[in-house]
Amino acid sequence: MTGGPDLRVRLGALELAHPIINASGTYDVLAVAGHGPSTVPFSCYVPKTVTLEPRTGNPPPRITETPSGIINAIGLENPGIEAFIADLPRLAGLRIPVIISVGGARPADYLAVVRRMEERLAAAGAGRSPAIAGYELNVSCPNVAAGGLSIGADPEALRQLVSAARPLTARLLIAKLTPNVTDIVAPARAAAEAGADAISLVNTFKALVLDPVSLRPFLGNRTGGLCGPAIRPIALRMVAEVAMSVDVPLIGMGGVTSGLEALEMIACGATAVAVGAATLADPRAPARILEQLSAELAARSLAGLDDVRGTALRDS
Amino acid sequence: MSAAPDRPDGCGPTGAVVVPCPVVEVRRFADWSLVWIEAPAVARAARPGQFVMLAVPGAAFALRRPLSLHRVHGDRVALLIERRGEGTRRLAELEAGAEIELSGPLGNGFDIATTCSALLVAGGIGVAPLQFLADELRARRIPVWTFVGLRGKRQLPLLTVLDLPRQTVATEDGERGIHGTVIEALDASPAAAEAVEKGAEVFGCGPLPMLVALRDWASMHHLIGYGSLEAHMACGTGACHGCVVATTRGYLRVCADGPVLPLQVIGERTLAARGTP
Repeated sequence: MTGGPDLRVRLGALELAHPIINASGTYDVLAVAGHGPSTVPFSCYVPKTVTLEPRTGNPPPRITETPSGIINAIGLENPGIEAFIADLPRLAGLRIPVIISVGGARPADYLAVVRRMEERLAAAGAGRSPAIAGYELNVSCPNVAAGGLSIGADPEALRQLVSAARPLTARLLIAKLTPNVTDIVAPARAAAEAGADAISLVNTFKALVLDPVSLRPFLGNRTGGLCGPAIRPIALRMVAEVAMSVDVPLIGMGGVTSGLEALEMIACGATAVAVGAATLADPRAPARILEQLSAELAARSLAGLDDVRGTALRDS
Repeated sequence: MSAAPDRPDGCGPTGAVVVPCPVVEVRRFADWSLVWIEAPAVARAARPGQFVMLAVPGAAFALRRPLSLHRVHGDRVALLIERRGEGTRRLAELEAGAEIELSGPLGNGFDIATTCSALLVAGGIGVAPLQFLADELRARRIPVWTFVGLRGKRQLPLLTVLDLPRQTVATEDGERGIHGTVIEALDASPAAAEAVEKGAEVFGCGPLPMLVALRDWASMHHLIGYGSLEAHMACGTGACHGCVVATTRGYLRVCADGPVLPLQVIGERTLAARGTP
């Protein structure tokens, strides 16, 4: 990138080499068959959401394609915080900062995961670990029976959770919002006021697809979360609304598949841009998006992302 | 796995290496296309039962489609594509000379290192990977019996591209071969009795209800068996946990833990959760 536009961005105290990160839940780098952590084209890695206890996830089918999108209901399958901690040395191989996505059935579970991670990181001789940059509170999964979305859709519950988590860590604290609300600004404001350093938005839209033969819900969980290009204009609008209302940096996501679309997120106020569905459709997408983003800036004779951020929000 | 190895060009974070490959020959017949692709790296590494992920041509946004390797000759691999939805229709309409993006080979494949004799049981398009398996077993001079179950007349054209040793056909409408399901054909056929006599390993691919019935049949005859499963997939490399099936060992990912699994782990829950689209 020598001589090219400056793609560095800052999320609170965390400086990232560029704004492209992965959307949590879309890939589990340690689970890739026969491969170690590859050199990922992201500036930061957000693993699948980790919960206090192991979760087996939802019954299949869990995923299928929809027009211009994907619907999924994985159900936060994860080995639980203790197994996650045991695997940390493997994540160190990525050589990029890690933001831990935290989930739970109730607020106390989220806090217990953050507490346990902090204990582990504070312990002397704890062994090799990646740089843990912070936590993303996943209060927005549409595919679990308890917790998740129910906290994210309730600004007061979200305010209490963020307030309670804030004193537990000096690291970056991020709230990941659900779009399944009437007013996206209310939970964003609650999270920022309670001390969140940044806000991620949006998680998936709760949706339904039927099996064309049986006319019954196709997914094992019946409903799922919709992502991909189909939701991008809605996600973009929500990012813009939140950017106009809160001062913390935003991680924008929702159907971004190109450098121009990443730039649009940034023009609507995002600091970083997360990519999920695009990576599933084409494993090379993140690297391509990053190259295209750099080319977009160069073509517009822009020196860096600060020159673009929020330009869509101005009156003239 | 201590350090991050550099991945070859074209490799994304999901570990799949995407390679553009030329389509060299297409044979279209009824609901299917037999597509030959020049893919030397895939052909060299491929084992029967493995699959590739194919980019859907001309689609603005689409998940890659998993297709099992049907045959491998030299630098070329063949895929037998059944038109089911929009994605497979576009793939089936590929023309010779086109370029297609492909990742693979993926998945675990059939383990035939210690196989002395084999009974191959296919249901419909499930015959696709069993042709490659039969070719490989035949090359090793291992005795093979094959049973192909078809729903009926509409599926008969599938037989025209197959070259299977000691093939018995069963159709549910009685249009060809034994009248009944492929499992009923196993019960009725002296060829199956011969395979049982030899203690053949059973290799199956087809709809889940067929694999569950095959599990029970193999178990009744004290035969070791394996089944190749299918599922809607996203990443194809184990990263997204999207393509799981319920098994006696819990949820297993068809792409990374399979697609070949021991028949015994395919349980009633697998069927109940209808992992087959």
